[in-house]
Amino acid sequence: MRARAAVSAALASAGILLAGWQAGVRVEDTGSGAVGTLSGTDGTAGSRTTGSGTTGSAAKAAGTYAGAVVQTRFGAVQVQITVKAGAITDVTALQLTDAERKSIQISNRAAPLLRAEVLKAQSSKVQTISGATVTSAAYLTSLQAALDAANL
Amino acid sequence: MNTPLLAGRPAVPRRAPGAVNSFRGQHRRRLLTADLLTVFFWATLALAVALWLADGGAAGFSTLAGSFTALGITAGLAGMDLVLCMLLLAARVPVVDRTMGHDRALEVHRKLGKPALYLLLAHGVLIAIGYGMAEGLDPVSELVALWVLVPDMWLAVVAIGLFIAVVVTSLVAVRRRFPYEFWYAVHLLTYAAVLAALPHQFSVGALFAEGTWQRLYWLALCIATGAALLYCRVAQPLLATFRHQLTVSRVVPVAPGVVSIEMSGLHLDRLAGSGGRFFIWRFLAPGLWWHPHPFSLSAEPVTFDAGGRGSLRVTVRNLGRGSAQLASLRRGTKVAVEGPYGLFSTAARSRNQVVMIGAGIGITPLRALLESTPFQPGNATVILRGHGEAELYLGTEILELCRRRGATLFHLTGSRPAGVQTWLPESASRAGHRLASYAPQVADADVYICGPAAWARSVIHDARTAGVREDQLHCERFDW
Repeated sequence: MRARAAVSAALASAGILLAGWQAGVRVEDTGSGAVGTLSGTDGTAGSRTTGSGTTGSAAKAAGTYAGAVVQTRFGAVQVQITVKAGAITDVTALQLTDAERKSIQISNRAAPLLRAEVLKAQSSKVQTISGATVTSAAYLTSLQAALDAANL
Repeated sequence: MNTPLLAGRPAVPRRAPGAVNSFRGQHRRRLLTADLLTVFFWATLALAVALWLADGGAAGFSTLAGSFTALGITAGLAGMDLVLCMLLLAARVPVVDRTMGHDRALEVHRKLGKPALYLLLAHGVLIAIGYGMAEGLDPVSELVALWVLVPDMWLAVVAIGLFIAVVVTSLVAVRRRFPYEFWYAVHLLTYAAVLAALPHQFSVGALFAEGTWQRLYWLALCIATGAALLYCRVAQPLLATFRHQLTVSRVVPVAPGVVSIEMSGLHLDRLAGSGGRFFIWRFLAPGLWWHPHPFSLSAEPVTFDAGGRGSLRVTVRNLGRGSAQLASLRRGTKVAVEGPYGLFSTAARSRNQVVMIGAGIGITPLRALLESTPFQPGNATVILRGHGEAELYLGTEILELCRRRGATLFHLTGSRPAGVQTWLPESASRAGHRLASYAPQVADADVYICGPAAWARSVIHDARTAGVREDQLHCERFDW
């Protein structure tokens, strides 16, 4: 390689890397802690917390049901559903992937999309969100546990 | 042995010696573009990592598992960037071909093959370790879990397998054992490998999550590479084939086993100056059409009228099964063409003086170059090398051109001395002759070399010893 090319390439690369690193540091300073863990409860299986219906074969009782806590490499995920008249009326995330700033960002983006899809489909059989595959998978697994608990 | 067969007319300097070098501007522009391409290459590599840093990727280094994952992501990004650069180098993009020449580009392409594969393997292994540590799994179980649970991941694993196959079959030792067609077929799998590797980058790779500008950049990079490949490797050849409408007009025997194939066609004025450069030819006859032949023009295209109707000529020797059939080509056979490619032309000139050295069938592109490249009488030396006079193909044409243009011509025949690494015949070698004995001005000349690889290496070595710099050497390889 010619000296001029080598020097220019080294300078350009160093500049680009430095700029990238600087931008990364800034993002970390301002963007952290956007969403924290909502609650630290851990359920091993879906558990019904409130509601007037009776559990068991009676099924499709109104109330809220928490899904299992699903561990992922980005943190734990747990969702809770609200059921009225056999239909899912709301999905709340009790815990979302939050291992690092990036996971929080992804969770923030994915959770509302997943909630909307689930409410529309009324099941856990919905598409995962691209770029948030792990979060989506855990979200839907926990959701399924909650649905099972609700006998939906 | 170094009395010239035909001495050039003594140089009649129209300008003072050391006058303006008319090729200086072109040479400087070419070197500048070459440097810019080098900078561009390293910049894309740096950018791939910088985009990840800008996304806060460095935060992963706070934990051990995160460090593995972070290194894995970086390796994957750099590896993919190298793969895209390799595709561009092999795409015959005009600016790359004009600047570094086709075989230099392929040489760099080959050099990048192993680093790219190592980076991609490191990517897979490091990610499996990093993810596995975070989840309390060993890397193998993690890999299985990724394959089963995460969409698009099995495709990524398949892609790695394909990349390994492509690189392994390209290793020189392995490549020699198989026919060219086998290697070519496996190499085509590169496209499948890249396509299989793409989905997981966009669906699983959080860096390229929807709405980020990292995703836009990476998408743009992939689409631009794909477009360059489609244009240069598919559209341009089709355009050239339909534009020139080439058909075989004559097959002329030149020497035992050597024929000149003449083709007539349209708009050949557009190919002026491509004498000496090579094209990929496909003769559209049964049993031949699928075999691409890289042959150089052995004469400047000749045009008969203002519409560019004219004829082209390549001179070829029976090398493989494919070329043996060429001697029996029928008149009127249609020819598909890609090109011209390579830097074996005036576009590579950097000096007023020129030295052309060819051996065997490698003499033929020199014949075309000698015809067209500008030089003052006395400023060119032509050295032809062969076992005997019969192997100095197109010798009479070259003699005539040298006489007309005032170039010095040497015929060097005879076999090499045993056990000595030289490009010269035994007698010349024993007399202590070197390149500079034939071409005293070689240190300030462009040196064009065309012939078998081992022979060419000897010439290049001799030229470097004589003070020829890298950018004055222009070499066309004849073994692919």
